[in-house]
Parts: sequence; structure tokens; C-alpha cells
Amino acid sequence: MALTVRFVVLLALGIVPVVLAGDAAWWMLLGWVALVAALAGLDAALAGSPRALALERRLPDRVRLGEPVVSTLVLSNIGSRRVRATVRDGWPPSAGLVGDNRARVMVPPGEGRRIETTLVPWRRGDRTSEAVTVRSTGLLGLAARQATLAAPGRLRVLPPFRSRKHLPSRLARLRELDGATPVAIRGRGTEFDSLREYVDGDDVRSIDWRATARRNDPAVPGAQRLMVRTWRPERDRRIVIVADASRTAAARIADEPRLDTAFEASLLLAALAGHAGDRVDFLAWDRRARARVHGVTGPKLTVRLVDAMAGVEAELIEADWAGLPAQVRSLTASRSLVVVLTPLDSPGASRGLLAMLPQLARDHLVLVASVLDPALATASADREDVAAVYRAAAAERALLDHDRLAAAVRRLGGDVVAAAPADLPPALADRYLALKAAGRL
Amino acid sequence: MSPTTAAARPAEAVSPTFAASLRRRRVWIGLAALLVVAAVGLFAVQGGSRPEGVPLGADNAAPAGARALVEVLRDHGVEVVPVDSLDDALTAAEARESTVLLHDVGLVLDDERRERLAEVDADLVVVDPTVGALADLAPGVRLAGTADGPLQDAGCEFSPAVQAGELPDGLATLSLDAEAEAEADGWTTCFADADDRAAVATMLGSDGRRSVVPSTELFANESIDRDGSAALAIGMLGAHERLVWYQPGLDDADAAAAPTTSELAPDWVSPVVILLIVTTVAAAIVAGRRFGPLVVEPLPVEVPAAETSLGRARLYERSGGRTHALDQLRMGAIGRLAGLLRLGRRATVAEVVGSAAAATGRAPAEIEALLVARAPQSDTEFAELARAIDALEAEVRRATRPDDVRRSTAPRPDPNPSQEDRR
Repeated sequence: MALTVRFVVLLALGIVPVVLAGDAAWWMLLGWVALVAALAGLDAALAGSPRALALERRLPDRVRLGEPVVSTLVLSNIGSRRVRATVRDGWPPSAGLVGDNRARVMVPPGEGRRIETTLVPWRRGDRTSEAVTVRSTGLLGLAARQATLAAPGRLRVLPPFRSRKHLPSRLARLRELDGATPVAIRGRGTEFDSLREYVDGDDVRSIDWRATARRNDPAVPGAQRLMVRTWRPERDRRIVIVADASRTAAARIADEPRLDTAFEASLLLAALAGHAGDRVDFLAWDRRARARVHGVTGPKLTVRLVDAMAGVEAELIEADWAGLPAQVRSLTASRSLVVVLTPLDSPGASRGLLAMLPQLARDHLVLVASVLDPALATASADREDVAAVYRAAAAERALLDHDRLAAAVRRLGGDVVAAAPADLPPALADRYLALKAAGRL
Repeated sequence: MSPTTAAARPAEAVSPTFAASLRRRRVWIGLAALLVVAAVGLFAVQGGSRPEGVPLGADNAAPAGARALVEVLRDHGVEVVPVDSLDDALTAAEARESTVLLHDVGLVLDDERRERLAEVDADLVVVDPTVGALADLAPGVRLAGTADGPLQDAGCEFSPAVQAGELPDGLATLSLDAEAEAEADGWTTCFADADDRAAVATMLGSDGRRSVVPSTELFANESIDRDGSAALAIGMLGAHERLVWYQPGLDDADAAAAPTTSELAPDWVSPVVILLIVTTVAAAIVAGRRFGPLVVEPLPVEVPAAETSLGRARLYERSGGRTHALDQLRMGAIGRLAGLLRLGRRATVAEVVGSAAAATGRAPAEIEALLVARAPQSDTEFAELARAIDALEAEVRRATRPDDVRRSTAPRPDPNPSQEDRR
């Protein structure tokens, strides 16, 4: 039961008869209020029951963050009376409902009506709507019957993967690596790809003399052309990406939580490595595996990754790095590139990581990818006034801490990539390409 | 807008029906109803029956009431009849030999009624009259303000006044009209002061004695025991076996009387006000009705990253850790200078100072003071040193890379030295 604005207006209109009634004003007042109340009661009683509606939702399962999706709600009237209703779908604000969340429909008995709304979610993860509220107004529009009907709906909002814009250029460089240039040195694990003519700048050690001897220069009879062997990068290497989902990942840098930056970087790296023929495993880790993708290859990899990442938010707990080597062991037995996406902020917070690192670095190639706050660099150069200089000193201190930690990681056998949020995904991809070109995977 | 083949099963309702919500709140509804019933009952039992606080009310035991006087009179065998309408007063007074006390609290008596009362066949005592009442009931008698001091001498033949002997000070007074009209009618005054202003005026007429007492203090509970007040009151009011205690009420008011605010306003004003209140309440209910349950927005944890650094800056500032803060800037600068001067990561401070001096042509001692030795004594000096270190850095940069015009913001050593170089 709910009253409407029209009810209030009708009640207020009672002023006219009350004034005109003269001596009987009190009785007119009583009579008017009783009349309006009775009309409202009758109106509500005769309104079509919102409980006689059957609901059906049509909604895509997944959408990328920031992209629109159309949510359809079908109301079927299985009662005997016409339902004139205002309908509100119980989406949370972050589902990003476009326009007004009040739809007016009229459903005659035995028929159905469709309500279409556009959602542009602005937060990652599962957005759910538990119920739909229907307010069925009576014929006179004085009163309404209201009911909240269960209509569970779920929309999984995937990480946006904005860094995919960097993918084409990195793929191009990957193809350059692939047998086109002899940048790869000879050595353990390299694979012969093809022979081609020597050009200036090629390593003289990669000249294949036997092939050169067999090859006559068509332009100059009797002369030989120098041939070089090229090597293609190894395939089927293993990459384990570990995203730190603990409290340090909750920090917001350049208006993006570190965790989201980590996901962007992971997605770009996974897409690139997938094209390069390497196998990628993913782990979101704090004290336990919050998300895990293992043994997926091909185009399904990105889909599985974004799906796994969608529901992961940073939690205010400290990461348990000691448990990580065992997790990595369970994902892969062979030597892998382990990319750990975690900030190198302060010696205190990174102690657990540093303690675990030698153990991991013994079996694997470890790369620590850390988000640097660009605000620190700006602050460290600010000499505006005394307070700014103090801020500059503190920022300098934070940068020194980072440098010190990066040096410690390198000493312990790992490697470091550090960049601002927007630059970290391409920087990580570049480092991967460099490692691949160097045959270090 | 198309018919659909949705499931024929109605959606399960999460919210309770109207009846169910009533049932669920039945305890509270019951309690509220009980409260209302109790309030109405209490009002009916108590509020309706007590004319609270009427001055000189016969039943009023409050300081301004006159119950003390009434009780004493009753003890003396006087039948006291409180009435609130003229008709009742006249009926009661004319049945037996009576005294009528008139105290027009609400100023409701009009001229016509006062004239009818003036002709009553009984003694009449008028307490605290208005100018209009005096003109009708005691022509020639005027109100004369407040007496200056105690009134000690009755100065008249009126026996209650003689018995009273003395009256308290501060009483309202009367005076007789100089035109002598009053004296011609036989009015005399008692307890007159030096200016002929008296506390009581009285006259024995054809219908009975007429007395005027302008002050209520002589009868009120709180002040009747002062001096001869009680004697005067009892003497005046207890002369006959019946006392009609007449305080004109609503029945005596009519259109001719002075209209009150509620009489001036049209009949519909109060109902309209009530209607507006009801409308406001209805509007509040309409506006307050929630369209379904609240939806919870699960908020992720988010920490502003710069907090730590800002907090540390404030700590430096508050604790005056200038040297410590400057050391951070110096360490950063030395690291960058080492990179600019191609000294490598392991270069000592002395090497950096020496190379910087060589590159810029400054004295090594000056550079060492800047990078190591000088301890700032004040915030101003601290800021100056910080700027001087910046200037040194820029100078070294110009000296080592003349083509590089980018300023000193942050060409920090590349945080990602490429692994390719290491092979």
C-alpha cells in the first residue's frame, strides 16, 4: 500500500468545500477526509495485484568495465486485472543504470511487457540485483499496491583491459624476433629457424660458412654471399603471473588501484605470451589463492583470465609470501618466468617478499613488477615553499626506499620493472620481449 | 511491447503483504492504540471537570482563587451558589434573600445584562469592575488607581467596613464623581485616603445594598488573611443566608459582547488548519514511502597512496627534522649526480664531490658543504639549501650534457636497467 501525490492534492482541495460549508465546516472536514480515505482504499483494493506478475530477466552474463549492456525485464500479468505500474529494478549504483530507474508500464491481463534499460557499470566484479519493486497504481491514481518481487540477476563486470592498445605494437616486435633477425645468440635451448643473407650489424659468429659455400651470388658469378643462421625464440616456455591482492594492492595511484594496474599488466603480458606460444598461469594471491587460472591456452586464456579477475578486490590483510613458492610449484614443475606484481614501497612491508625471493629465484626467473607513484617524482622536484620542500624530502625518501628495495631484489636474483600505472603494462611486456629475445626464458 | 511466453508462475514476493505487515507490527500498533485510549480517558476524567485557575473561582484553591472565603462562609451557614450565567444568578438570587457577588473575569457581560443585574432584588457586590460596568451598576463612581499606603480608617457607617478596621496597602481604589450625582444617589465611600480615594464604595438602594470593591486581593486565597480583609469580605458577603457567586461565563457572551479572536475568525479557519495538518502528514507519508528495499553497494577497499609520504613530510616538519629531511634530498641528489658524472652506483660521496667540482669549476669545499656538511638552522635555510642542491644538479647536468635541455625534474637513473646489457 502506498499513497500518491494525487491523493495529497485531492486532500488539500478539501479546503474549498470546507470554506463553503459555513457552519458545518467541521463536519465537512470530517466528511472530506473520510471520503478521500475511502476513495484511496477502494482504489488500492481495485488496483491490479503486483504479486500476480511473473518476471523474467534477459541479461548478458559478462560485460567489460565501461561498456554498455542492455538489461531486459519482462513482466507478464497472470492475474485477472490490468496492472498499471511503476517498476524499479534493484541495481546498485555501480551497475551504472542510465537514466531514471523508474519505468512505467501497463500490462493487461494475460499479456507481457518488456522494460529495457541500459547499464554502464563503473565498478569491477559481480553486480547483482536481487529484486524488482512494483508499485501498481489504481484507476484513480490515488493509491497503489506495492510489492518487492524476487528476480535475481547477476552481471559480471570484467576488467577493462585498456592496455590491449599496446598489444599490436608488441606483437609486431614479437614477429620481428621470430626468425627474422639473428638477435638470439647461440646456446642452450635455442632452435634453428632459417638461413638468410648477412646484413651489416649481424653477429659474425652466426655466419654459417657451409651454407655460404653452397650459395653462389647470381649477380656476380663466382662470388659467394655470406649466409647467417637465424634462431627462433623458444616456444612453450612457462610464465606464472602472481598478482598481489593484499592491502598494498588497495592503494590508489593516479586514480587506479594498484590491483587494477596489476590486472592490466597481467592481461597484456598473458595476451602477448599466448601469441608467442608460451603457457601462462595466473594467480591472485594474498594469504590464499584468490583467483587461479591454470592450463588454459589459446584464445580462451584472456576470457578465463578476465573472468577470474572480475571478482577479486584487494583486502586489508598482509600477504603471506612464504606460501607462494608452494603455489608456484603446484602450477609448474619446470623452470618458469615468475612475474610478481607487488609494490616495492617500504623495507618493512616488503620483508616477507625479500625473505621468500631466494627460494623462488633458485628454481625460476623472477621478475618483480612494481607500480611507481608518479606523484612522488613530481613532489620530489617541488621547491615552492618550506612545506613543499619537506614534502619533497619525504617523496625523495620514498623513491630512495624503492631504489634500495629494487637493488635488494636484484641482489637476491630477481629482476625489477617499475613504472607509473599507465606505463607498467607496456614496460612489463617490453621486458618480457627482451627476456625472450635474450633467450633467458 | 510484445506478449511473451514467460513462466506462468508469479514471481515470489520478498516484501510482506499489507495485512502481514500489520500483523507483524501488531504489538506496536496495540501499544499505540493503548496510549491513545489512555490519553483520551485521562483527558475525559481530569481535564474536562476542572475549570483550572479562574481568579476568585469559588472552587479554586490556587492563590488567586477564593475557596478559603467560600468555605468560611459555608461554615457560617451561608449557602454559596456558584453560577456562570445571568439567568441562573437572577433565579438563585430572587428565590431567597441573597447577596450576589459579581466578578466578571472574562469581561463578557454586556450593557443590557448589567442593567438587568442592576435591578436584582438582592444585595450586589461588584468586584473588580470595568469602567463600563461601573457606569451601569454604580453611576458616578470612578476608578481611581492604586492607594498609596495602608488604609487605616473606615470613615463610614458601613458596618463590615467598621468591623474590618484596617486594610492592607496597595489596594485599587475608587472615587466619587465630583458632579455629586453619586452622592445624590446615596453612595458613600469607606477607607478613603487623603485624596478621597477609597477601597470600597457602597449605597443602600431600593432593591438592596450596592457595593463596589475594585480590588480582588480582599477575597483571594493568598491575601485574604492580611489585616481586615477577611472581616470586610465576610461582612459584605455573609449578610444573607444565600450568596450567589456569579462569574459570568460563556452563556453570557453573545455577538454584542466584545468579540474574541476565535469569534472574529470565520468558522472554517480551524477546520482548514486541521485539514492542512492532515494534508502535510499525508504528504510526509507519500514522500517517505520507500520504493522497495535499500540496495547495498559493496565498496572495495581503497587507500590513497600518497598518504604515507605526506604523513612523513608533516612529521619532518613538526619535529623540526630539517637535517634528516635534507639528507634525503642529498642522498637522492648524490645518486643522480653519480649517474650524470658516470661514476657508477658504488661511487663514494667524496668521488662525487670531486667530480662535480671538476665539472662545474666550483670549490670542492663548497660542494661538500652543500651535499654533506652544512646543517640548516632554520626552515628558510633548509629551503635555500634544497634549492642550492637543485641548482648544483642543474649545473652539473649542463656541464655533462650540454645538448640535454630538459630541466632537472626527474631524469632519475632509469629504474629499469635493461637485462639485455648484462649478457
